[in-house]
Amino acid sequence: MKPLSALRGIAMAALLAATTLLPAQVSAQSAYEANLPPEINTSPALCDYVPCKEVLPGATSFSERKGQPPYVEGYAEENGQRKLVGYVVLSTDVTDTPAYSGKPVITLIGLTPQGNFAGIKILKHSEPILLLGIPESALVKFNNQYLGKFVGANIEIGRSRPEEEIIGLDAISGATVTVIAQNQVMMMSGAAVGRQVGILEKTVRPQARFVDSGRKLDWATMVKEGVVQRLTVMPEQVGLERGKDPFIDLWYGYLNHPEVGRAIMGETGWRDLMARIKEGEHALFVIRTAGRESFKGSGFVRGGIYDRVQLRQGQDVFTFRDLDYYNLYGISAPGAPSFTESAIFIVRSSSFSGAFPWKFIFLGNRIDRETGARTFINFDREYWLPDAYIEGGRPEVKKPDAPWVRVWKTRALEIVLFSALLVAVAVVYAKRDELTRRSTRKNKWPVNAFKYSAWIISIGFVGFGLLAQPSITQVLTWFHSLLFKWEWELFLTDPFIFLFWIFIIVTVFVWGRGLFCGWLCPFGSLSELLYKVGGAIGLKRFQFALPMKWHNRLKWVKYAVFFGLLAVSMFSMGLAEKLAEVEPFKTTFLVGLFNRSWPYTLFAAGLLGLSIFMERPFCKYLCPLGASLAMPSTFRWFGLRRKQECDSCKACAVGCGSLAIDEKGRIDHRECMLCLDCMVLYTDDHACPPLAQERKRRTKDGLPLTPIGKDGYYIPIKPVAPAAPRA
Amino acid sequence: MNDAKMNPVEAMPDPSRRKFLNTAALAGLAGAGMSVGLSACNKETAPAPAAAPAAAPAAAPAAAHAASGLKLHMAPGELDTYYGIWSGGHSGECRVLGLPSGREIKRVPTFNIDCMSGWGITNESKKVIGTRADGQLKYKTGDTHHIHGSYTDGTYDGKYFWVNDKIHGRLGRIRGDVFECDAITEIPNIQGFHGIFSDKRDPVDKAINHTTRVFCGNEFHIPQPNDGRDLDDPTKYFCLFTCVDAETMEVRWQCKVDGNMDLVATSYDGRFAAANQYNTEGGARYEDMMSAEMDACVFFDVARIEKAIKDGKSFTVGTSKVPVVDGTKAANPDPKTALTAYVPVPKNPHGVNASPDGKYMICSGKLSPTCTVIEVAKVADFLDGKLDDIRKSVVAEVEVGLGPLHTTYDGRGNAFTTLFLDSQIVKWNIDAAIKFHNGDKAAQYVVDRIDVHYQPGHISADMGETKEASGQFLAVGCKFSKDRFLPVGPMHPENEQLIDIRGEKMVLLADHPVHPEPHDFIIVKRELIKTRQVGVLDAHPLAIKDAKESGVFRDGNKVTVRIASQAPAYSLREFELKVGDEVTLILTNLDKVEDLSHGFAIPKYDINFVVNPLETKSVTFKADKPGVFWCYCTHFCHALHLEMRTRMLVRP
Repeated sequence: MKPLSALRGIAMAALLAATTLLPAQVSAQSAYEANLPPEINTSPALCDYVPCKEVLPGATSFSERKGQPPYVEGYAEENGQRKLVGYVVLSTDVTDTPAYSGKPVITLIGLTPQGNFAGIKILKHSEPILLLGIPESALVKFNNQYLGKFVGANIEIGRSRPEEEIIGLDAISGATVTVIAQNQVMMMSGAAVGRQVGILEKTVRPQARFVDSGRKLDWATMVKEGVVQRLTVMPEQVGLERGKDPFIDLWYGYLNHPEVGRAIMGETGWRDLMARIKEGEHALFVIRTAGRESFKGSGFVRGGIYDRVQLRQGQDVFTFRDLDYYNLYGISAPGAPSFTESAIFIVRSSSFSGAFPWKFIFLGNRIDRETGARTFINFDREYWLPDAYIEGGRPEVKKPDAPWVRVWKTRALEIVLFSALLVAVAVVYAKRDELTRRSTRKNKWPVNAFKYSAWIISIGFVGFGLLAQPSITQVLTWFHSLLFKWEWELFLTDPFIFLFWIFIIVTVFVWGRGLFCGWLCPFGSLSELLYKVGGAIGLKRFQFALPMKWHNRLKWVKYAVFFGLLAVSMFSMGLAEKLAEVEPFKTTFLVGLFNRSWPYTLFAAGLLGLSIFMERPFCKYLCPLGASLAMPSTFRWFGLRRKQECDSCKACAVGCGSLAIDEKGRIDHRECMLCLDCMVLYTDDHACPPLAQERKRRTKDGLPLTPIGKDGYYIPIKPVAPAAPRA
Repeated sequence: MNDAKMNPVEAMPDPSRRKFLNTAALAGLAGAGMSVGLSACNKETAPAPAAAPAAAPAAAPAAAHAASGLKLHMAPGELDTYYGIWSGGHSGECRVLGLPSGREIKRVPTFNIDCMSGWGITNESKKVIGTRADGQLKYKTGDTHHIHGSYTDGTYDGKYFWVNDKIHGRLGRIRGDVFECDAITEIPNIQGFHGIFSDKRDPVDKAINHTTRVFCGNEFHIPQPNDGRDLDDPTKYFCLFTCVDAETMEVRWQCKVDGNMDLVATSYDGRFAAANQYNTEGGARYEDMMSAEMDACVFFDVARIEKAIKDGKSFTVGTSKVPVVDGTKAANPDPKTALTAYVPVPKNPHGVNASPDGKYMICSGKLSPTCTVIEVAKVADFLDGKLDDIRKSVVAEVEVGLGPLHTTYDGRGNAFTTLFLDSQIVKWNIDAAIKFHNGDKAAQYVVDRIDVHYQPGHISADMGETKEASGQFLAVGCKFSKDRFLPVGPMHPENEQLIDIRGEKMVLLADHPVHPEPHDFIIVKRELIKTRQVGVLDAHPLAIKDAKESGVFRDGNKVTVRIASQAPAYSLREFELKVGDEVTLILTNLDKVEDLSHGFAIPKYDINFVVNPLETKSVTFKADKPGVFWCYCTHFCHALHLEMRTRMLVRP
């Protein structure tokens, strides 16, 4: 009866989870994958399409988009006079910084004339974590922390550090990637407006003094020396059918340098160009040598802005309008490729300097072939004049740390501790023979002391502390990254998960998934710890395991769950993320049992409750992460040891909490949690039946008890033993 | 001159029309005197139509194109490699073409009235064209012939182009950065303003290596001043050669000459301007004009003329304050002090063209089948007293064909001369011609001939009148198109033909119909032209710099309406006037986007004009009709272009 009711419990919980996770839950208020009018990206009248008034209280009318990157001015009527009350900027006009989903959180940001954040509204996001698990209001709450803060302040996620003039913001537990991206978006957008309206000082970069030794450069030399650069985009990168021919193949270079400029345009052409632009303005050329796509497009005809190319230097983005375009009639450098489209673009800002590195950006559209949806995607390539081209060589450039680097720096201590834990567990396990030999069936403490410590540390430090509970969603994300665009940054932003996964991948192939699942998985550890505690406090008689017959059927469920999720993710990552709530991890660690709606709490609590009576019910039957790790475990390098007698002896199998030993004594390493109980038995001459038998025989015969060898037998007295059992 | 034999090459194996014509012409030439030109002319017009079908004109261009590798068709998005700057003849305008495709890119209204742009309608353009006391335009007609650009270091700098108006004696200037006319100067005391040419470097200050003056030839001799005196005494008529300042467009000086002048050229060293002359006889009727065997090419020593003016050796004519010097032969007997040198050239010559190496001026004989090669250095020698006879500056005078008119160059020593009567272009080698002239009768100076369709006038090769002559192709303006295009009634277009001149043989590439009647043109490397993309707001003193400045401002019955345009709206939704108001309407286009021009039309008030981005234009009119008048944008600007309108309310 008991096993059946437990089963029913599991089934019920799963059903509950599935039904409550239906998309109907998405409220009308949600910005998740909200449908925005396409005009918000292009229309000059931005505020006709987005609620500018909500982010700029007091404003009654708004200007059209102005500036580069664009923003709008908000006005109020005061005694019949129009008065500037602030600015509104659409985040994607400034940056497409991707959040966890790989897509930007489209945010509308209001600023006071003094440069303080006045209002923030999320128009659209694709963050699955905010759809379920963490309420969207958490991000709203997070954003509200910016209100009143100055755009020029150093605002970071984490603790405030007044001595470094850094203002800290509270992150959202479990959504660190999202908030780190959001912080970057907020600060970049604010600064982009601030610099244009004079709230912030413009970045001033010292202008380059070029070395001109009068060389006549040919194309090949310029390519070799890196003063012309190439940016190639293949069709598959924009969601088109994979092909040999590039979607667009561009070459570009900086024309203010006399040697480069003369080589490209000829002496007269270059002199004319330099006479045509003002001091502090910069010219670059772009040619298309292959591909059907145009880098000019036709957008500049209507709005005057070239919407497919831009430059970025540091935080400054330089776009070009129609008046910044001149014809490039030809390239005089010998060996230059023929081209089908060409341009000279002028950067009309002295913030730009040819001495410093910059990026040429091609802005494309990626078409989702299933849905036909278009998303913006940028391709860029760095350009930096070589040392020899600049007087005094390249200046030293202090690049601000990438957000992920900052995370690693600020959490260095925890990262060290966590790494130490992972290494320690691996070392302990590598030395398992010494521990198992010291243990007996009656006294497993030499092993358990380490294992239980690992459990407690993973539950408390790793799980509740670092929130580093690996999840099937990461596996799905990787699958998609491998298929589409692999971004290290995205994964590096969460250092613990990143390190954890390195550990997992290595150990799965060395020893099997058990070391992670059985020793370090926070939920697994919690689950088994509850079982052990339950046993210890006298509930042992209520504890049970499913009969092997049922176990062998139900253990496949977790694989079905895994493949189901994988299949769903191919069609909708969002839905897959929602269905991944079959993992109670989010509820248990990231959000907290009491911070979620009751179905989630009930599900997680049910599983944990069941764990008191049944060893790791979730791990055995439901865990898709375990399933995904179990499959590669088939190919683990080192397995556990077996003896010939194991074929018939059932001693280990009886004690195997994971039910991983079959009737023939074989260990299923896909199921094994590496608890090492059977390995303790292996060298326990009182508990291992064949060994006990031999011990008894030798004792009876007065033969000495030689040490137990690696094969699990007493070392034979006679070295030459034809019937020596094989290892 | 009749002693000169046709070059042996002329005896082509082709037994067709060409040979017949030449023999016929030769026969005509054998007869002496005034009937020569006429007889040739008569003979030409008779056989030409009959011979034309034999030339299979329809098939010829296609075949010719195939034989030339020169790319004529520009794929979508591809740009031409040259600008063609074209005059428009009695359409009064100028044009900008893309070459070698031949596509017309822009018409530049100059002396005409253009209801597309509002040239001749806006106050700004009226001011340039010139108005009478009542504010009406002084002239509504014009006849542009010759167009030439400003030079720096012997090649075009793309700054200005000048064009003449033959009818009213005006010089117009077109800015190379906007291709709009910005100045028109009426030259005093001339009629039949024919050739012009800009100088290539300063004749006085050697440090100035760019254009500072424009020289103007005067074709029709008139009584001076032409106030009704001497109507019946043509012997008292004379012509004035004029120098206009390139920057200020003011007339610097004039020079009285013997005879009539047509084409003008300038030397590369800056010392000389030269004008071909016919009617040195001073005749008033054509038979008198052709009586002399020799006419002349008159060379002006610019520095000496300006020195003479400085020394007070000048007079004025009538009410004109322009100093005039006497450049007649009678007034300049001593070559060492002479202001002018008259190089004798046979029989009513027409074009004079400076060779790209700067050495020669080539005069085309028109009524003489010859081209005369004048060595510039020898003219200088004559004026410096080192050459006893000015005729010795002629280093070659060779027969090239019938009716030679204009010459261009490939920069490789070859000249290309249009033969009006032969309806051909002849390619001839200058050095070989000099050898031939010097007695080497084996020197074959004619390299090639090609038929053109029909009766060519001006000819111009790419950069042909600069030291950078690049010898790729030439354009030839054929005065008759006859059967070359779909018929459209009695009025035919001209036929501008394009010829590949890269090889030894010329290859006919294309026919292009043109609205009558371009005369002259120049072909300029595209790299040399640097144009503005939009206007400059501050350039107009009355610009409405902010839409807030717009409104109706009244001072009695003088009303100023200030409007700004920004797609798709005018800053005033309506504006009110009263019948009898004298209205000046100023429109500034505040759109900053390239190519976003707006129009402004006022129905029933006969007003339409276009304002380009950041430009300002104004019109003045009398509000004499009460009612509602929907002013609207005539120049497509926006998806809401049709909605771009404003109401002019004229209260009775």
